Amino acid sequence: MSNPDWNSPEARRRLAKRHAAERRFKAVGLAAIVLSLAFLALLLFIMLKNGVAGLDWSFLSGSDSTDASVAGVWGATKGSLLTMLVTLLLSFPMGVLAAIYLEEFAPRKRWIEWVEVSINNLAAVPSIIFGLLGLAVFINTLGMPRSSPLVGGLTLALMTMPVIVISGRNAIKAVPPSIREAAYGIGASKVQTTFHHVLPLALPGILTGTIIGMARALGETAPLLMIGMRAFVATPPDGLSSPSSVLPMQIFLWSDEIDKAFVQNTSAAIIVLLVFLLAMNGIAIYLRNKFEVRW
Amino acid sequence: MILTGVLLAVFGLGLVGWFAARGRARLMYKGRGSMHSMPAYHGWHMALWILVPALIAWGVWSLIMPGLVEGAVFADPVAKTLPTDPFQLGSILAEAHNLASDPSAVAFNPEAEALVEPIRAAQFRFGLIGGLIILIVAFAGGAYGFTRLRPDFRARTQVERAVLALLLAASLMAILTTFGIVGSLVFEAGMFFKDVSPIAFLTGTHWSPASTSGANISDNFGAVPLFWGTIYIGAIIAMIVAIPLGLMSAIYLTQYAAPAARKWLKPMLEILAGIPTVVYGYFAALTVAPLIRDFAASIGMENPSTESALAAGLVMGVMIIPFVSSMADDALAAVPRAMSDGSLALGSTRSETIKRVLLPAALPGIVAGVMLAISRAIGETMIVVMAAGAAARLSANPFDTMTTVTYQIVQMLTGDQEFNSPKTLSAFALGLVLFVVTLILNIVALRVVKRFREAYE
Repeated sequence: MSNPDWNSPEARRRLAKRHAAERRFKAVGLAAIVLSLAFLALLLFIMLKNGVAGLDWSFLSGSDSTDASVAGVWGATKGSLLTMLVTLLLSFPMGVLAAIYLEEFAPRKRWIEWVEVSINNLAAVPSIIFGLLGLAVFINTLGMPRSSPLVGGLTLALMTMPVIVISGRNAIKAVPPSIREAAYGIGASKVQTTFHHVLPLALPGILTGTIIGMARALGETAPLLMIGMRAFVATPPDGLSSPSSVLPMQIFLWSDEIDKAFVQNTSAAIIVLLVFLLAMNGIAIYLRNKFEVRW
Repeated sequence: MILTGVLLAVFGLGLVGWFAARGRARLMYKGRGSMHSMPAYHGWHMALWILVPALIAWGVWSLIMPGLVEGAVFADPVAKTLPTDPFQLGSILAEAHNLASDPSAVAFNPEAEALVEPIRAAQFRFGLIGGLIILIVAFAGGAYGFTRLRPDFRARTQVERAVLALLLAASLMAILTTFGIVGSLVFEAGMFFKDVSPIAFLTGTHWSPASTSGANISDNFGAVPLFWGTIYIGAIIAMIVAIPLGLMSAIYLTQYAAPAARKWLKPMLEILAGIPTVVYGYFAALTVAPLIRDFAASIGMENPSTESALAAGLVMGVMIIPFVSSMADDALAAVPRAMSDGSLALGSTRSETIKRVLLPAALPGIVAGVMLAISRAIGETMIVVMAAGAAARLSANPFDTMTTVTYQIVQMLTGDQEFNSPKTLSAFALGLVLFVVTLILNIVALRVVKRFREAYE
């Protein structure tokens, strides 16, 4: 435009059109978020509406049963706790040690790249594949007991470890080099520096990642389906190798029941599971806010 | 039983060795510079020499002891009366072992009961021998470690070498898992492909693994309808929901929302990603599927089924929204600020800047994010198990029931368990296909993301 006349009606119209497009675009963005959150609210509302009435002491302390009015979640909850215990005891030390090695000690060589690629890929492999691995290796080859918290925990540990390694590496990377140099400066060895100075500073970040990984493992159903954890178990498991169910599996089993009375049980079990998950994520956020240091 | 006790004893010995060596090292300390390592490192060095050889011996003995016990039991005169049929023999042996370890158990089989005494005797004998060997190894290791305890001994270097070996072993676990996955999938799928030709499996359009009719077994294992169902639900319907919603949420959060609103909205959106898939599956089956069935009926479909591809795909799309949103968020944040600033300075509005400058610049990152999202969606199991249905069919009608690869894996491996039948083994072949496809998607997407970041750095 060689001679722009900004106040001509035509230019004003154009501007108004562009501003209207701007407002439309912004509204679409807001609508996208509101729609997603509305879906979340609807899901939570329906679960609460169906399930709250079923939450009482006998439900929280009972085990699975063919009769909806006596069935409870304690058996499955105990199975979940035992499974998570195995998962945590295996994946946390392994994940932290691997993260330390890859971040602080690993030589820049070809095979280390392979380790990194395989960790990044394992974190994105569908969970059902880990179930197939557990079935083929732990049950069919090593002959471990089916549907036990031990095998479930092992399978979930393999799935959780890459998550812990990735978050652990990020937390270790965030510790500034000056900390390491100060430790070297007073004569600490590399291992001493790592374990006495870097690791404690990185620990809150590692713990946050661990809790998030464990929350994912707690809600996981598909791999456990593969290793046979869908058995009907009417008593809480009394050990790591006795048959057991877990919370998400209990939800899945009840959702398959034809008896309408189980709708309440399923929704109530979902509330219990979501309370656990929200608590874990809350702890993770609290840890992050409380101990996060900005260098 | 004896071996467990021995294991505890070995750990006790290690603890004693730790204190003893540290105490002795302290006595050796004669002022600054008189020793190479701190006393605690001498303690750790000692404990490692006690524990590591003894634990290796324990592991080896635990592996060979069952065989030795078996041999001793068969040499016993009672074993002469056992049946020769391997299947019966196995069940009797298993029962006898159970009886031997659990005194309160009741015997069903007199032959098993007769075997209990020889088994107990053999277990006791070999447990004692093994325990002695392990303890001797522990003491020998400890003695060797103790002889090396001198002021100038570099205990710290040795201990740190052991720590590094431990760290290395932990990181090799990841490679081992990958090999485990590939190995077990390839092995079991190989058994499947002995019966069914891979070409028929990958190109056939008829899937009915349960039926034994038909001249050629390969004809029942055509997996194309499964692949189609997976792609239709995971890569088409779910993405039609997730890409616009996720992308627009990311744009709103990064470009428009006030910092305070962003601080609240983003974690709330992430709750969607934290909800277990079984909950989504139940929600899809309980609430979404009936709504869609009624809708299908209202637009004139005949006998719409409760389970439909649309219900599963919709819910799966909602599940993926936070994932797409955070990938798009990263991609938008990686675009240099100068680019959008330049566009704004020329007088374009925010939305024009986003549509003409930001999105094209961030496109590679967004595409990579969508690929990762697809790889997630096609590996998703519980939603399709609970809402998509079992019928393998090639159809483009979203109200039809459709089945997916993951659904069929679950279907083949739960229920009756005759291992090694083509029906069960087909699950591993499907798993292999799924693994390979997600692997390719992930590797390509991660490469693109890396390239894209580097381009703007």
